[in-house]
Parts: sequence; structure tokens; C-alpha cells
Amino acid sequence: MEHSSLAGRIFRGAALTLILLFFMFPIVWIFLMSFQTNEQILRIPPRILFEPTLSNYEALISGQLRTAAGNLQISFMRNLFNSVVLSSAAVLLALLLGVPAAYAFARFKFKLGETIAFTLLSFRFAPPLLVLLPLSLYYQELGLNDTYFGIVWVYQLIALPLILWIVRGYFEDISPDIEHAYRLAGHSWREAFTHIAVPLAGPGIAAAGLLSFIFCWNNFVFALILASADKQPVTVGALAFVTASGIQYGQIAAAIVLSVTPTLLLALYAQRYLVEGLSLGAVKG
Amino acid sequence: MARLEIKSVSKTFGAARPADGLSLAVEPGEIVAVFGPSGSGKTVLLRMIAGMFEPDDGDILVGGRSVIGAPPERRGIGMAFQNFALFPHMTARDNIASGLRAKGGSDVAGRVAAISRLLKIEHVLGHAPRELSNGQKQRTALARALVGNPDVLLLDDPLRNVDAKLRYEMRLELPNLLRRGAAAVLYVTQDYREAMAIADRIAVLIDGRLAQVATPADIYAQPASVAVARLFGDPTINLAEVTPVAEHGALSAVIAGAKMRLGAGDGAAPGPCWLGVRPEDLAISSVSGEDAIPARILAITPMHEKAVLLLRLSDGTEWLAALPPDAPLGAADDAVFVRFAPEAAMLFDRATGLRIGPSHRLKAA
Amino acid sequence: MDMLELRGIDKVYRSRGKPPVHAVRALDMMVEKGEIVALLGSSGCGKTSTLRMIAGFEDVSAGSIALGGRRIHELPPARRKVAMAFEGYSLYPPLTVRENIAFALKSAQLPRGEVTRRVDAIARLVEIEDILDSYPRAISGGQQQRVSLARALVRDADLYLLDEPMGQLEPQLRAVLRGRIKSLLAERGMTAIFVTHDQTEASALADRIAVMEGGVLQQFASEKELKSRPANLFVASFIGEPPMNLLDVEVTRSDGGFRLSVSSDMSFTIGGTGLDRAVEQVLSATPQVRIGIRPQKITVGTGDVRVKVISNQWLGDQSHIAGDCGGRMLIAVTPGRVAARPGGIVPFALEPRHLHIFGPDGVCIRHAEVS
Repeated sequence: MEHSSLAGRIFRGAALTLILLFFMFPIVWIFLMSFQTNEQILRIPPRILFEPTLSNYEALISGQLRTAAGNLQISFMRNLFNSVVLSSAAVLLALLLGVPAAYAFARFKFKLGETIAFTLLSFRFAPPLLVLLPLSLYYQELGLNDTYFGIVWVYQLIALPLILWIVRGYFEDISPDIEHAYRLAGHSWREAFTHIAVPLAGPGIAAAGLLSFIFCWNNFVFALILASADKQPVTVGALAFVTASGIQYGQIAAAIVLSVTPTLLLALYAQRYLVEGLSLGAVKG
Repeated sequence: MARLEIKSVSKTFGAARPADGLSLAVEPGEIVAVFGPSGSGKTVLLRMIAGMFEPDDGDILVGGRSVIGAPPERRGIGMAFQNFALFPHMTARDNIASGLRAKGGSDVAGRVAAISRLLKIEHVLGHAPRELSNGQKQRTALARALVGNPDVLLLDDPLRNVDAKLRYEMRLELPNLLRRGAAAVLYVTQDYREAMAIADRIAVLIDGRLAQVATPADIYAQPASVAVARLFGDPTINLAEVTPVAEHGALSAVIAGAKMRLGAGDGAAPGPCWLGVRPEDLAISSVSGEDAIPARILAITPMHEKAVLLLRLSDGTEWLAALPPDAPLGAADDAVFVRFAPEAAMLFDRATGLRIGPSHRLKAA
Repeated sequence: MDMLELRGIDKVYRSRGKPPVHAVRALDMMVEKGEIVALLGSSGCGKTSTLRMIAGFEDVSAGSIALGGRRIHELPPARRKVAMAFEGYSLYPPLTVRENIAFALKSAQLPRGEVTRRVDAIARLVEIEDILDSYPRAISGGQQQRVSLARALVRDADLYLLDEPMGQLEPQLRAVLRGRIKSLLAERGMTAIFVTHDQTEASALADRIAVMEGGVLQQFASEKELKSRPANLFVASFIGEPPMNLLDVEVTRSDGGFRLSVSSDMSFTIGGTGLDRAVEQVLSATPQVRIGIRPQKITVGTGDVRVKVISNQWLGDQSHIAGDCGGRMLIAVTPGRVAARPGGIVPFALEPRHLHIFGPDGVCIRHAEVS
């Protein structure tokens, strides 16, 4: 349809600007906060113009948190590193397990198939705290408490159902005839899976991987209970900014900026790939 | 060079039975069209041969060796699909070459080039499937099926999704292309003209059973049943409920008040029947007579260089007549008289639908 | 009287970031009352855009549309007095087949008895009496299409618009339904325009056919005239099943007339007396033209053109023979069976009076004689 009237175009522009402001404001404000001192932040009324400072970032990187009551040791960079390791490993493991499973659910009708698929999804419904109480006991018995592997394992509760259900939909969208044609050309089902199904579902796998990465990255409860200081991700580590002598808003803002950056970069990179993949087209018909 | 043999194959899906004791043999170099209305089990049959699923019962042999249980890639089968099923992330060249590379064949490039030249797609070999027109997609899919010289070639309504002009061109080209490798060819189609044009024999599949397997000319002239007769011919065969009577060794029946002589049957009265007369066997004139059915022209609809007349017989039955374009036609609403030669009439048993007696309908040179 | 007048219709689709698409160009078309017109063309030729502009689902970019003397192109669809059957059927899912068909009649507040009578009559015509109480999702595609046709035809309207009305019909019903619908339209004097890509359907139903290509109306004439007097190469190669055989020929003068040579052993002599002046001018000015001959006009078994048979296909009521003649393919259609095997040599007769001649711009300069 054509929208050629001038009034319509102006209205559309204004509406878009408003929506953009609404959604971008928190992010922009936090970005600005990260370059201010606590005093500047708490000033009333707040100002847009200020003398930017890098002290918040310095503090985070050096691990020295300066408060009114003196210096505190924090391990923010360590936490950030943990977040990256835990989330990447969890997503990788979930992809390795989830993509073949999703393919099986999409292509083969087997007994209890739907039941199993739904059970996996239902893990997402369980309140994490209820799961955690017994789990922490088991973990202590098994010696998995406070290990990277233990946390990665429990992260599967988040990542696996997500990947399974999203990727399954993408597999179902690929005409089975394309795989049939590949098999008749003389390839085994394994080759058909790796050379046809996986590349064609690539955009879906990327989207599912990205989403589950974000969910893992943002998780708080699992790591809070199952990990000690040196295995904690940023979400838990951020608690350190709430100190006896007040809340360090500037450093929190800087921490947010730093911890958002990896996911944002990943999303931007994957977005380009997603668009590329989706325009591949011709999968159907 | 291998024979394809299907031996009393059956398959059930829930309440549906798309294959019910199917038996059919295809010789090397022979093209057999599997023709039937949608949902009659044509595609299921092809997929069982290709190994996408196994029959519940029966056996499938390629070159005398059973392929039941063998994975699709080891059955020696090439297949072209209705929706093309090209690999979207590969160029046309890689699509065609994929089978040759998998089998580690030599001179892949040369063979791909040869088959592409034959199918006139050399200029698009570097394109991805999404850049091809439907006709080019279909040709690429055919090249992919043909290039490995498979023992058995399965074509699942390959011309369904290409436009009328291309379909016509392919109809002329396909028989020669398909016979080239001396494969046993099964060709599924929903278009009776395509089946007649391409196939050496046609297997008519209705509700999971083979209603008739014969050459195109035989099926058209001597359909086994009323259901088969209705599937072949455009416009469809005209039918009337009659109870023929025998007089002096010849059959006749009353249609809309007119007593028509019938050439079918062996002279004995067969009981309640369907009388079938093909539209092109009807003659129209303005001259009345005892041997003519009075009718009125409802509409004239030209078709395939012929004039198709919708007639209402005096008893209300609607019949279609297909006349040569230079025949005197009359106009809508005219009263006319319909005749047909006794040997043009076919009789089908009303209860079983099977054709009765030898047909004498062997017109044309 | 002209029932529908399309004058100077243009349709341009503009979307940002893409060049504008000129879907219909300077279309002039007059449709008489009671006439059945087909808009025929391949996909993207502008036929559907034209139909949608008449229905009111698309604005015209330029030009005017009048229906029964009323200017309608600025009216909303509901006030144009047109009935439409959609290609995708668009049946109302929560209503039964009967309610779907009766919908417009009920909103027009016709008496109940009248509604029932009309619905039953149209249902009988398209053979859906036994599914009147079913819901759309429970019936097959072919049945849905018949319901959609019935819903359009049951209404009182100045104009009936049908988008691909018979594409999905069961093959066994198609010929009968074409006849019945044509008879109904004629009996009631209904004016109808339908869009189709299938020329069999167009020639069966329509009084006149508008052949479109690239948004331009190529020719608007009866089926007979399209076949005997195609305006240009496009129409000639588009109309006819199979399409016209086309050959490039060299033009040379030969005692008063012209010699059209396909190859050294195949040529035609035309003219001398009776050749049109305009034709003569074009032929004297151009060394190369294209000739066309309908497959049905080629006689098989006699003649001096020897072809190598590529295929000989018997379709029950006619034979299609494709032959190779010095690298060019000729297709002949005859009503009987022909004894010719692929690879064999068969004579074809092509008579000069059956030739169409196309000038360098594709316009037909000489038509075949009507036998």
C-alpha cells in the first residue's frame, strides 16, 4: 500500500521518534550515568551536561571499589569472564544436544514423542527456587557444587527447551522432499542432516542460540546458590555494589554497560547473519 | 538396465489404505504413467519405491533384487519432485552434481555439462535455485534425477508447477529424455493428456487399487470401468442410465425417448447399465428421426480447437458434444437432434461399474 | 450500450527503496451489457490489478471507470454494485455453505422464501446441494471454489467479477459447469469479467478475450479472431494449444511476388496479385520477417516439407506430431492417428494461404486466409 500523504508521513515520523525515545531512554541514561560520579548522579535536578569521568570503569577494571567508607575489593572482571564462559558453554552444550533432538521431534513420529517434547518444555514452568533446594543437596553429594560444569549443567534447564522448541519449528518448515532428494542422490541420513537440514535451519539455530545465550547470561538464582565467589557471573557479582555505605550507582551503570556489551555485540553480529539466512528463501516449494 | 517389479504391495495409514495389493512391473526403457484422481495413492506408491517408508505387505524388486529394508541411497533410484526439492543453498551445478560426487564418480563436470546441455540449462548452472524460473527449476530437478543413470526413475507430477507453455514443451521432450538411460520409469500425473502423451503404458490408480494397466490408446478406447472412462477425455464421457434390450441379436436402449442402437456387448441383454458415449462421438443435426435424441443447446464453449456444446436431452439429462470447429453448430437455445454410431456406445454394469462385452470403438486410422 | 468503460487506466505500485512497478498502462476497454469478457495473461501481466481496480480494492493511478453510466472509481467497493468471486475463495469460516451464499441476499433484506429459492437454484447449478449445511473447512478445494462462484452469481449486481473462477474445479465437472454458467449468464443478461491464465477457460466462457502482457492490452477480440487474426507476435504465440509454429524467413523478390525462404529446401511464394500494398511495402523494405502457421493447419502425410519425427503423441481425440525440420521444430495437430515413429521421416504440407506474416516490430502484417 502507498502512504504518500504528507500529513501521514509526518505523523508516522513523530510516532516512531516517540517510541524510540521511550524504549531507548533507560539504555541511554545508564550509558550517561556510567560516566558520572555518584554525586553527579544524585544531583537534583539531573543534568544532561556534565564533566565525564572514567573513574567508574577504572574501578571496575582494577577491582578497587572506592566508597565513602574506604576501598573494597571486587572481582567484576572475574565475574564477567565467568558469565562468558558459563553462558557460551551452556549454549554450546544445549545446541549439541538440542539440535539433533529437535530434528528427531520434527521428522519422526515416535511413541511418547509429543509427551517427551512437552515435558522438556515444562521444565521452564518450574519455579527455579523449588528445583534448587533439592538440587543443591545432590550437587554437594556429587561434588558438583561450585564447579563450572555443575552450573553449565543446570543452565540446560534454561537453554535446552528453548533451542529444542524453536529449532524444531524451523526443521518442520523445511520440505522433507529436499532431504529425500539428497538421500536418493546417494547420501546417508547423517549427511542429509548435516548438509541439508542444519544449514537450512541455520537462521533458526542462530536465533535460538542467541536467545538462550541471553537467558543464560541474565540468570541469577542458579548461580547465586550453586556457585561461590570465583565462579559467580556478573548478575550475582553485581550484589557487591550494594555496600554498607550506600549504593555505587556510577559503578553499577558502568558494570551494566560492560556486561551488556558482549550480548549486544553478539546480537548485532547474529542479526546480520539472521537476515542473510532468512533471505536464503526457496526452502519451500 | 533393471526391471522394476512391485508385488502385491499394501500400505495402511490409520483409516486410509493408499495401497491395496498393488502389482505392477516396469521394463527397462519403459515409461509407465501412474494416473489417478488426487488422493488415490500415487505419491504413496512412489515413496515406498524410493524407500521413504516401507510397505506393510508385499515386495519391491529392482533388477530382481528386493529393496525392502534398503536405505533410499542404496536403491539405485533417481527421483524428481512436484515441488522441485532443489537444495536451496547450492547452485544448480552442485544440485545436479551432488549424486555423482556422493558416489565418487569420475568426470563429474563432464557429465553435468552433458545433461545440462540436453535440458538446455547450461547458462544457469551457476545460479542458486531462488534465481531460477519455475521452468528452469524443473529442468534442474530433472537433470539431477537423470544424471546418475539410475536403474529406476520416479517422477512425481514434475510438470505440475510449470506454466502451460512449458508443460507442453516438456511433454514433447520428456519421452526421449526419459528413455535415454533405459531406466524403468514411473511417472505420476493428474493430467490424463500428459499420461497419454508421455507413457508407453498407463496404470490407473483409484482408491489404492489398480483399475487398469494398458497402453494409452487401449485405455481410451476400452476403459475397464466407468470410473476409468470418466478419468480419460476432456470433456468427460457422457453417461446415461439404461436397461438395454436385445432384438435380433442386436442391443438397443431408450435414451430420452429415442431408441438407440448399441454396438457393445455380445448381443445378450446385460441388465441395468451405464451407457457411455464420448463427446467427440456425438453428431448434431437439425433433422429429426427415430434414431436421434431430441435435445436443446444450452451453451457453446469452444475448447482445444473444437466446439463443445452443452446439451439438455428431452428428459433433462445434460450431455456434452465436442464437434470439429467447421461443423455446423447452431446457437444456444436451438433445438437439435443427437446421434451416435452404435459402435461408439460403451456399456458398463450399473452394479460393478465394469465394462461389458468387447468394444468396437476402435475408430481413427 | 457500454456497460463498463475503462478509460486511460494506469496503475503504478510504489514501494520505498524499489523502483515503481507499472502494472497497467493506458488501458481502454469497453464492455457491453450482457457480455462475458476474459482478462487473459500470464502472472504479472496486470490482469488481476485491473480486476481489483474495477472491484475497488485498488485505487486507479490515472484514468476513470464507469459502470452503467455511473463513475465508480472513487466509490468504496460496497457501493459499486459489483459481485466478486475471489481466487482464494474467502468463504466465511463460521458460516455454513448455505449461509455463505445467502449472506449478501440477507443483508439486502430479501424475503426469506426468495433467499431459499435462489440459493437452492444456484446450488443445483454448481452441484453443491448435498453440502449446503457443511462448513467451508469440511469441504474440498473444488467444492469451496464452487461455493465461492455460487456466492457471487446469486447476487444482483451490475457486474460480476470472477478471479480464476474454475482453476481448482474437478476435471470431470469443468466442461459441464462452464456450459451451465455460460448459459446462466446469457439467460439473465449478466455482464461478467473474469481473470484467468488458462486460455481453454477463456475461450470456453468468454464472448471476448482481452489478452494482456506487461500491463498493456495486446488485443481485445473474440476467441475466433484472436486465432485467425492475431494482432502481433505475442498474441500469436500465446493463443492456441499448442501455440503457433513460428519461423524466421528471408525475403526475396520473385516474379511480381515474394519468396519467403526458411531454408534452401523450404520456401513459400506469396503475392503477385492480391497482395496488400502495405504488406508489399514492408516485405520490400525488410530482408527478414517471421511467419507463423497454426499446428492445426499443417497437413500430415502429404506435402513437400520433410520432417524427422521427434514425437508422435495420441491423446485420444487428436495426434500431436513434433517434427524436426533443419533444426527447427514444427508441431502439427491432426484429429486422427498417424503412423509415424520417432526418428522416421514424414511429409508435412504448409500452404502459403495459411501463413501469418509478422513485421520486424512484431505486428502482424498479413493474416492467414480464413478457410
